[in-house]
Amino acid sequence: MPYSLGIDIGGTFTDLVLFDPESGVQHNLKILTTPEEPEKAVINGTRQMIEKVGIKAADINRVVHATTLFTNAMIERKGAVTGLITTAGFRDVLEVGRERKFELYDIFIEMPEALVPRTLRFEAMERMSPAGEVEVALHKASLKEACDKLIAEGVNSIAVSFLHSYANPAHEREAAAFIQENYPDVFVTTSFEVAPEIREYERTSTTVANAYVKPLAAAYLGRLEAQLREMGVNAPLFLMVSSGGLTHIGEARRTPIQLLESGPAAGALSAAFFGGRSDVNHVLAFDMGGTTAKLSVVDNGEPLVAYKFEAARTRRFKEGSGLPIKISTIDLIEIGAGGGSIAHVDNMGLMKVGPESASSRPGPACYGLGGTMPTVTDANLALGYLNPDFFAGGTMTVDTGKAREAIGGLSEETGLSVSELAWGVHDIVNENMASAARVHVAERGKDLRKYVLVTTGGGGPLHGYQVARKLGLKRLVCPPAAGVASALGLLIAPARVDRVATIARPVSDLDWTELEATYASLESEARATINETVPEASEITVRRLADMRYIGQGFELVVNLPEGPYDGTSREVILEKFRAAYRDVFTLNPPTDRIEIVNIRVTVSAPTGMAGAGESDAKGSTDAAVKHVRKVYFPEVKDFVETRVFERSKLPAGITIKGPAVVEEPESTLIVGPEGTLTVEPSGNILVDIAA
Amino acid sequence: MSRQPVRFDAVTLEVIWTRLVSVVDEAAAALVRSSFSTLVRESYDFSCIITDTKGRCLGQATDSIPSFIGTLPKTVRHFLDHFPAETLKPGDVLITNDPWMGTGHLPDLTVAKPLFRDGKHVGFAASTTHSPDMGGRTGTADIRDVFEEGLQVPMLKLMDAGRIDQTFISLLRKNVRVPDQVVGDLWAQVSALELMERRLFDLMSDYQLDELEGLADEILDRSEAAMRGAIRAFPDGTYTYELQTDGIVEPVTIKIAVKVKGDSILVDYDGTSPQVDRAINVALCYTYAQTVYGLKCILAPDMLNNDGALRPIEVIAPEGSILNHRYPASGQTRTLVGHFLPFAVFGAISKAAPERVAAGPGSPLWSLQASGVNDKGETYVNKFFFNGGTGGTAQRDGYNVLSWPSNISCVPVEMMEQQSNFRVMHKRLREGSAGSGKHRGGLGQETLLEYRSERPVVVGFHAERTVIAPPGINGGEDGKTGILEINGKPLTPAQQKVQHVIRAGDRIHLKTPGGAGFGAPANRDGALISRDRKAGYA
Repeated sequence: MPYSLGIDIGGTFTDLVLFDPESGVQHNLKILTTPEEPEKAVINGTRQMIEKVGIKAADINRVVHATTLFTNAMIERKGAVTGLITTAGFRDVLEVGRERKFELYDIFIEMPEALVPRTLRFEAMERMSPAGEVEVALHKASLKEACDKLIAEGVNSIAVSFLHSYANPAHEREAAAFIQENYPDVFVTTSFEVAPEIREYERTSTTVANAYVKPLAAAYLGRLEAQLREMGVNAPLFLMVSSGGLTHIGEARRTPIQLLESGPAAGALSAAFFGGRSDVNHVLAFDMGGTTAKLSVVDNGEPLVAYKFEAARTRRFKEGSGLPIKISTIDLIEIGAGGGSIAHVDNMGLMKVGPESASSRPGPACYGLGGTMPTVTDANLALGYLNPDFFAGGTMTVDTGKAREAIGGLSEETGLSVSELAWGVHDIVNENMASAARVHVAERGKDLRKYVLVTTGGGGPLHGYQVARKLGLKRLVCPPAAGVASALGLLIAPARVDRVATIARPVSDLDWTELEATYASLESEARATINETVPEASEITVRRLADMRYIGQGFELVVNLPEGPYDGTSREVILEKFRAAYRDVFTLNPPTDRIEIVNIRVTVSAPTGMAGAGESDAKGSTDAAVKHVRKVYFPEVKDFVETRVFERSKLPAGITIKGPAVVEEPESTLIVGPEGTLTVEPSGNILVDIAA
Repeated sequence: MSRQPVRFDAVTLEVIWTRLVSVVDEAAAALVRSSFSTLVRESYDFSCIITDTKGRCLGQATDSIPSFIGTLPKTVRHFLDHFPAETLKPGDVLITNDPWMGTGHLPDLTVAKPLFRDGKHVGFAASTTHSPDMGGRTGTADIRDVFEEGLQVPMLKLMDAGRIDQTFISLLRKNVRVPDQVVGDLWAQVSALELMERRLFDLMSDYQLDELEGLADEILDRSEAAMRGAIRAFPDGTYTYELQTDGIVEPVTIKIAVKVKGDSILVDYDGTSPQVDRAINVALCYTYAQTVYGLKCILAPDMLNNDGALRPIEVIAPEGSILNHRYPASGQTRTLVGHFLPFAVFGAISKAAPERVAAGPGSPLWSLQASGVNDKGETYVNKFFFNGGTGGTAQRDGYNVLSWPSNISCVPVEMMEQQSNFRVMHKRLREGSAGSGKHRGGLGQETLLEYRSERPVVVGFHAERTVIAPPGINGGEDGKTGILEINGKPLTPAQQKVQHVIRAGDRIHLKTPGGAGFGAPANRDGALISRDRKAGYA
């Protein structure tokens, strides 16, 4: 019997999902992460899981893995002792960065510190021109001197980043070969293999980050693979990359930096999957947990991908406070808004919520663990959204009195009642998320009104209804087991490889034969990796993209291009694709038509097998699913209303219920306002329509 | 503290205000992404705001540079004086670059759109951006008056009831070296105004607002009250400081007195040098903007920007001084004096509250501007920026190579080489350039450029602090002065401020100043001293 196993290692918990595609049954398991030897939790969990389900290790025919280990290694600065070798004259590029501060008025900010200190940065003599012509050949003696010094300092991973290597990587290749030959125990990363794109700081930063986690990744992935074999799991091990695709272990060892955002990527894929089951083409994925909310855009089943990202921020939600990483990654925003977000009144007499969070200790005031600050969870309890007798599925006791007391602490400063304040906390955190969503969606040139909100995480279904109203959305989807839906994303991901090359030339000057050859070579490289990942792929999808801009602009639009092969006649087609994409984002084309291609990109993907999940098989009536009736606050009537509370597992498919309503399941609670109507679909999704 | 009558409660106002800021931020993001010049997109040299019908600013884009906090709402009010409300129509867009009503120099183009909702005027959307060229002599302080500075755009209607003034556009295109970039940026600005308009109207519908005045009163009064609270917590007194800049032929003296009294502040620049016949004069609008930036860093770094927060602060400078010059003197390179002002504020406050300020920074911002004709016969302009180190503070060392008080990024080396005929031979930290102290300053940088084309190019610079060093605070040592060399020969302040013809093989070496130290060097942590030595910082 073929089973698929998904493993997601987070900072606190390791989630496992075992899925039987034949019966459609999904089993979940959550155990504590073992940070020193992360494979321990994985192996223990897998053992527990197969015992619980009663299968053999050999029945698992697919293992898919996501992990935050490398992200955490960068945050906690627990990577390898890493050295950097640059073109002579430029070792400080990594430290100088872009010379810009991420906050204007705070003169005490903490700027992100480079992963490689100045004492471990050396230079080699060589020089390429911007067009990729050799101006100074690589001087081996200077390279050797740099390596010897690094080895003497105890370095076991070396990053090599030369100027203009995106235009011609010959010197980086030569340097890497030299290092591998003469220092076989040392890991090497070249900038060309991880981020062959113009802009030396961002490329070097990415190269160094890869070098920093590479030894860790090699060791960990090696142990994990061996121990899974040892316990009898013979299935191939796939890794999820940040763009939401899968890759094989060899590629993951070579460029582990690609795995940085694998967990959130799984979440977005999962939202895409559940959206698809309700025939939704445009999904705004909304995941809200204890400290953060994440939003991402999914069009036609595919999450939007961005080509840059920041790791290890010194100020968590502040753009520019982290290390730039140029990888393909699911394009999501993270907002400091979760159940633990703390409410306070600022010096202007305004109520603020978050980004400070009470986290799990002491947690919200209602936990009774010593927290006295009012949080979003406290407000949700006071508003009747959460059930004190069924908190976290009844596994925790909470104190509504303590929640109200904490909220009441803000009464004097604001002149508002506890109920008004509780609603205020809920409404402000919703506005924070909605405002972030508006800017995020608008920056991508999308029209919000086309989207359906898909809510996951413990807080998504609680806040989704009102967030959707703020955004003017007419519908939301709440998947089954919404609180843990994201791990399932692992099992539905396609294999995916992204490749990029810098062209940096006006479209009018392009040599079409050369361009076609470059696309073709990226494609064959990517196909090779796909073939190693999915040897008998039934269908392989190849997509061509290009980063284009009007000459003189500094930001490129990533444009989907038609399939190749290209020749001189492709010119107008490609220009028109760009102009149309530009209009989508910026409304108007400017009064010039000089356009250039900065980078070209290829995405190759192949399906890896599908999963269905969570279908509803409940029978019976609406009334039978009612757990109880309680008072719940709704802003539409500005008052508490007697509201029916349903048990989700007892709701039969096809049923329609008029709001207001509350639907509870162990991991999350769905709130539907008085203007909403919910429908339970056969797929297990709950669809909520919001009247205008 | 007495509270204003409540028009919006703590929750409603927070929700609406958050949304309002997201409106200007969304427009700013669109402007950055669609602009044609590095000035907007790499340097964030722009601003977007929404005001009520009186030109009172309700919200400013989060990423805009500090100097426009103070200037843009005032420009909107100048527009209103020139085009009274009853003469405005839906679809109008107003434009000017008047230095005295705008930001102090011609390259900054300000546009404003009166917003009509269901026929009723409810406010303005406005934006200023630094245009890549405005004709005239460029990239140099060697300008005698505003006529040499370039094209002056009086207060005009760029669009009249939706119709673009094509005559103006033709005139503009004809007078600038990079017409596609200049007009492209202007276009991006107008799109940003329209975006703000659409989003603001959505917001007004959602919250059933039919005017912005009540909201403005609430936001401005609360901001004002908070700023007054912050000022009241600061001890009363008159705090003075005096500093000198390299100037051109002789140093410029900036004399500041910060008078804190109760809940308001008067900053007086009496005693400051008179205006000069070169382009380093600072219009009062820019003097004001840089001064309030310094004060805001000290008093209320977290507070959102709007006019209310600035009401308790008054800034005066004698007419005819270099900080309040008269027409037709030029302020083209006003940053060469204006960037000293936030530190002048810090210097004054350092005696009373050293823990709230930083020691002298290696600013003003340095830059190199090259203009010429390329092999295809097209005119071009390259502008590259080079920052120095910042000063140490009570909490930590200064930052190596970081933009302050402005926030302007460098252009990547690979981009510089691709877009110009310069090769960058090195760009590195300038070892030993920081002033030592308990917390030392940040290091400056050294960048060596070599010119590689047979076509000569005209180069102008912004450079300062090559004679007079960034001053230390609280016993910290001064930062090291900068050096600007052509072919190994250091340029004097006067030579730095004229244009140079650069030919194949010529080398330009820019060594920016390091930040000054904070606190006595004897109190420096031993571990930091040895780290600095090992890394070669000191």
